[in-house]
Amino acid sequence: MHTTTTTPAAIELRGLVKTFGSPGGALVRAVDEIGLTISPGEVVAVLGPNGAGKTTTLDMVLGLTAPSAGTVAVFGAEPRRAVMAGRVSAVLQTGGLLRDITVRETVQMIASTFPEHAGVEEVISRAGLTSLAGRKVSKCSGGEQQRLRFALALLPDPDLLVLDEPTAGMDVSARRDFWDTMHADADAGRTVVFATHYLEEADAFAERIVMIAGGRVVADGPTAQIRSQATGRTVSADLPQTDAAQVLARLRSMPQVMEATTQGHRVTVTSGDSDAVARALLGELGASNLEIASGSLESAFMTITAAPDRDARTEQEVAR
Amino acid sequence: MNATFTGLELRRVFRDYVSMFFIAVLPAFFYLIFGAAQSFGSEDAGNGNVSMYVMISMAAYGAVTATTGIGGMAAVERMQGWGRQLGLTPLRDSGYVLMKAVVAVAVAAIPITLIYLLGSLTGAEGSGGAWALSALIVFAGAAVFALYGLVFGLAFRSEAAVSAASGSLVILAFMGNIFFPLSGTLLTMAKFTPLYGYVSLARYPVTEGYLVNTSDGTATHEALWVSVLNVSVWAVIFSLLAVWLVRRGRARQ
Repeated sequence: MHTTTTTPAAIELRGLVKTFGSPGGALVRAVDEIGLTISPGEVVAVLGPNGAGKTTTLDMVLGLTAPSAGTVAVFGAEPRRAVMAGRVSAVLQTGGLLRDITVRETVQMIASTFPEHAGVEEVISRAGLTSLAGRKVSKCSGGEQQRLRFALALLPDPDLLVLDEPTAGMDVSARRDFWDTMHADADAGRTVVFATHYLEEADAFAERIVMIAGGRVVADGPTAQIRSQATGRTVSADLPQTDAAQVLARLRSMPQVMEATTQGHRVTVTSGDSDAVARALLGELGASNLEIASGSLESAFMTITAAPDRDARTEQEVAR
Repeated sequence: MNATFTGLELRRVFRDYVSMFFIAVLPAFFYLIFGAAQSFGSEDAGNGNVSMYVMISMAAYGAVTATTGIGGMAAVERMQGWGRQLGLTPLRDSGYVLMKAVVAVAVAAIPITLIYLLGSLTGAEGSGGAWALSALIVFAGAAVFALYGLVFGLAFRSEAAVSAASGSLVILAFMGNIFFPLSGTLLTMAKFTPLYGYVSLARYPVTEGYLVNTSDGTATHEALWVSVLNVSVWAVIFSLLAVWLVRRGRARQ
């Protein structure tokens, strides 16, 4: 591991913009003013629908694509410098491998480009590929090829590891194997940033979630907070045989309540502060059979990422 | 210069038996059939004999097959994502190109060495200068065709396109006066095709520019500038196309 006396952010993005020319001639803003700071040691999930700008953003962090505007710093340096110094490496979603060479040869080839690197057999074993080392890449499954990309990413012993949808296209058991391998290797102090479609992966492995939609950061915070931020928790209870409309009006007047609906005798309340709602329901409102359900990350995701679509700006307007 | 990387790249090419067949075995076989086995093989042709003339032609054909394939595969590999993987290493583009060039030269050396060796054993004769100089020109000119493969790879982005590029060399070789001595209108047309200048230059140390008309046996002389101009123009065309395709690819990223 590299040590530094002052510790700059692992990733510092300021006003990052990337525009592409589309076939129609209009400019498309794939990344639209993203500002983000990730500190050393954080494990961050980047969530967002397809085309949200995740891969483009990570490409700029890795120096594979130059920003149209804004700045990227990785440990205080230009991305390409950080890559050259072996401080950052990545498992790419579309990182091609040469199909006609073996797993070991692939590792040897990439290792040879680094002035200092971890041992070839060592990374092969850390990625769980020892039994496959002599196999041609073309004969490896998608999950095995992904573990090979992971082995390649371990070669420079990076301080920052970027994973761009590392388990895309894998079946459930291959995904579990991959994350088990990742965990077995979890070095204390290594910063990990991964993009994913799978909410359960973000939930299980990330301390912090950054949601991107329409090229912008739409939510950023600890995993638990993101989960509650969108839908909070839902509190449901049976109402006493009094005036339901009055109870609803009372609930809706509470500042903590986002939404309250009734179905027969049962009221369902969505709130960022389920305790306050429960207290009111059981206390002054005399409700019974109270249940509190935690909002799923799935619904948080839907709520947050759907937002930019509602005020969808036409790209032509932006381009002008 | 990274010896491990270059060594592994070389091993990849040598392991590809199909390519090695077209690069080395087939041209060597052509030489034996069209050169060594012919009764006119020992006839005089300038600073050497006819066998030597055929030997140079086939070595040139094998060498361009090698460089076209390597140039094309380099382009396709990079675009199919290997370039992104290499982008995560300290390896620079210039270092990558240098290693591929070393590999291309090393592989082009195989048919040249093999066919020249066969030539020396089966009656190809010529002055020492003609042997050395022709081999050198075959080597150097083959580099231009790495660009030809590169253009195909960049334009069509698939292994199949690279195979097509290597395959198209057979046609270009016929049209370029490599396999069979052309005359009349065909010869006039040949002078505009990309392999003509290259192979004429390679044979120049032997023929000194004389072309034999196969139908009446008369010899005509062709000035050196014709071959030089042909090679130069095609080198410029391939380079411009390669630069344009690289820029187009980058704009799409």
